[in-house]
Amino acid sequence: MSHRIACLRVPLFPLAARLRSEPELAGEALVLLAGNGSAARVSAASRRARRAGIRRGMSLAQARALLPKVAVRGRDAACESAAQQSLLEIAEIFSPRVENAGRGVVYLDLAGLERHWPRDHELGSALIQAAERARMAARAGIAGSKLAAHIAAEQADSPTVVPAGEEAGFLAPLPLTRLLAEAHVLDRLARWGIRSIGQFAELPKDEIASRFGEAGQGLHRQARGIDPHPLVPHRPAATFDEGMTLEWPLTTLEPFLFVARAALDRMCERMARHGLACLRLETSLRLEPEGTHERSVVLPAPTRDVKTLLTLVKLDVEAHPPGAAVAGFTLRGHPDRPRAAQLTLFGPTALSPDRLATTLARLFSLLGPERAGAPRRGTDHRPEDFRLEPFAPPPPPDVREPEPEGYGLLAVRTLRPPIPLEVLVDPRPRRVATPVTEATRGRPRIDGTVRVASGPWALEEGWWNERPVDREYWDVELSDGGIYRIYRDRRSESWFADGMYD
Amino acid sequence: MSPAPPNALAMAPTPLALRRIHPALRTGRTLAPRQAPADSSRASRVRPLDELLAGGLEPGGLIEIVGRRSSGRFSILLQTLVAFTRRGETTALVDLGDGLDPRAAADAGIDLSRLLWARPEHLKSALIATELLLNAGFPLVALDLGSPPVPGGRGPEASWIRLARTARQRQGILLVSSPYRASGTTAQVVVESSKTGARWQGTGRAPRLLSAVCTRLQLVKALGRAPVASLPFTWRSRAPGR
Repeated sequence: MSHRIACLRVPLFPLAARLRSEPELAGEALVLLAGNGSAARVSAASRRARRAGIRRGMSLAQARALLPKVAVRGRDAACESAAQQSLLEIAEIFSPRVENAGRGVVYLDLAGLERHWPRDHELGSALIQAAERARMAARAGIAGSKLAAHIAAEQADSPTVVPAGEEAGFLAPLPLTRLLAEAHVLDRLARWGIRSIGQFAELPKDEIASRFGEAGQGLHRQARGIDPHPLVPHRPAATFDEGMTLEWPLTTLEPFLFVARAALDRMCERMARHGLACLRLETSLRLEPEGTHERSVVLPAPTRDVKTLLTLVKLDVEAHPPGAAVAGFTLRGHPDRPRAAQLTLFGPTALSPDRLATTLARLFSLLGPERAGAPRRGTDHRPEDFRLEPFAPPPPPDVREPEPEGYGLLAVRTLRPPIPLEVLVDPRPRRVATPVTEATRGRPRIDGTVRVASGPWALEEGWWNERPVDREYWDVELSDGGIYRIYRDRRSESWFADGMYD
Repeated sequence: MSPAPPNALAMAPTPLALRRIHPALRTGRTLAPRQAPADSSRASRVRPLDELLAGGLEPGGLIEIVGRRSSGRFSILLQTLVAFTRRGETTALVDLGDGLDPRAAADAGIDLSRLLWARPEHLKSALIATELLLNAGFPLVALDLGSPPVPGGRGPEASWIRLARTARQRQGILLVSSPYRASGTTAQVVVESSKTGARWQGTGRAPRLLSAVCTRLQLVKALGRAPVASLPFTWRSRAPGR
């Protein structure tokens, strides 16, 4: 079977990219300006604006004279870049070999897709629908060469399929300007009476090569419906970027979160298309008049939950304000595979990995990363010492395991940090009281006569480092009913309570 | 007159049975005797607690353990975590009092890899974290309010209502350990733990060792069930090898 190429093209791409970022402008009269100040000219206009007579190349004043309430936006490189990436990702759903032709055009190599898409027209329709789901109105063309596919994608009744072997005939009536742009070459061909691609294709191949060199030979092949160069595969991006230039600089958080939410929505949609989730989120804020504010949030587990990501961005911006008005932003998501788990029919219920990741991210944003995780033993013997590790529970056993024989073991509630005490000693502790100081404010009050004291037990370690511990422990039962674990710090001769039997 | 069936007397309600049924009818409770949870794996491994709760912790409920200092309520919490993590369940401890010692918890038998430890600093964030965890589908979420003074007091009643509703919707178990009744009227079950004494080994001038703390568990409140007599339980202490 002959080689087939599909072209997916978004007409008025800068406008479509802007509308993708600001879907609320769809249906409105909108113009995009290119250039600065009085030199700015309309580069694209929405259908409603075009109906009012606004055309490309007009100044803003001219456009406003025709339609005073026309919405005006500048061209936005961030929007266009994100839209182009999204278009490439849509194409990658259909074909593993995709070429990025830029400005809203991508080519797909259809080799090997015949079993999935035996009819080219259905494939073209599927491409258009996939682009529409990503909020971009696209057209598709399928042919044997990139040039023919691109021109087919410009036709109104999309998708347009050029049957195999008919590419030359499809291109023949088109003017030469569709093939090349060099004015001197066009003039030369015009002097020969060559004005259409078909006429150029009929010229002898060897003569073209001798007069125009290798470049001319390539153009001649294109005119005959043959690609001079193979498709250049696009390497998928390692990150998912979304952003935009704001209409006016923002100084408060709420409006920023509004636009950031929409950007995160789009980013998570793109990640979902590839079965990925966000593990690290970088926020880059372009400041007014100049400068950038870069922040990065690492998530405990990959997630696509927009609410969670937005909460993290909010907390991070609140904690680290940019210090100037924000004129634009870019959110960059570093993807990873979401955690997967095989659920069991007979064992204990397992948590959904995706939901767990979302919960952990929200827990981190609520409490802070140092206050949630899987507990681990500390590195020394101090009771208040511990470590926290990322929470990643192992899968549950396939069947419920028989329970080991249990026994009621008395637990010690750790008092973290230890509470300073005043202890009357004779030579065993006789009376214990909590002094009223700043260190004991809001802490449990330990006060009473010692009924029973048990001890002392020594704890000495760390004498070789900067945190030496030298303690003399006692278990005491007080008249208030509590049983406490207290100790005397032999280095400072101070008493503390670091645990309560409970 | 037709003869009475041979078991007519047995079928006729006795005055004692009527007296039992009548209050139930007045309160609108079901007349069927309450069954122990079909899933026996919900047992807390604290025998008197399981007996009081007719077999174990019932999913979808808020169970509050109330007790003063050294009453054993933290031990109940940890023992329940031991039981659940050993069965392969993923559990969470919202530790407002920051009282967990991971070393002691591991020695007690908790599978730390199946325990998510959240250490909020205020009651408000503790309640939000608890709701998050219940919504995530954790089968057991233990919330320990620590020792008084609890930062944040009892918290708003509405928060406890939300927690109870979330536990019911998600069929998770919310086990609250508090120095006083904090959850108000929303708890399905309230068990009060009180210390009745402590056992020390050794007398006179010999070094003494804390060997056990004796407690008593009493079912203070149980929806659809009459409170029963309290049950004793003794918590054994580890040897003082710190």
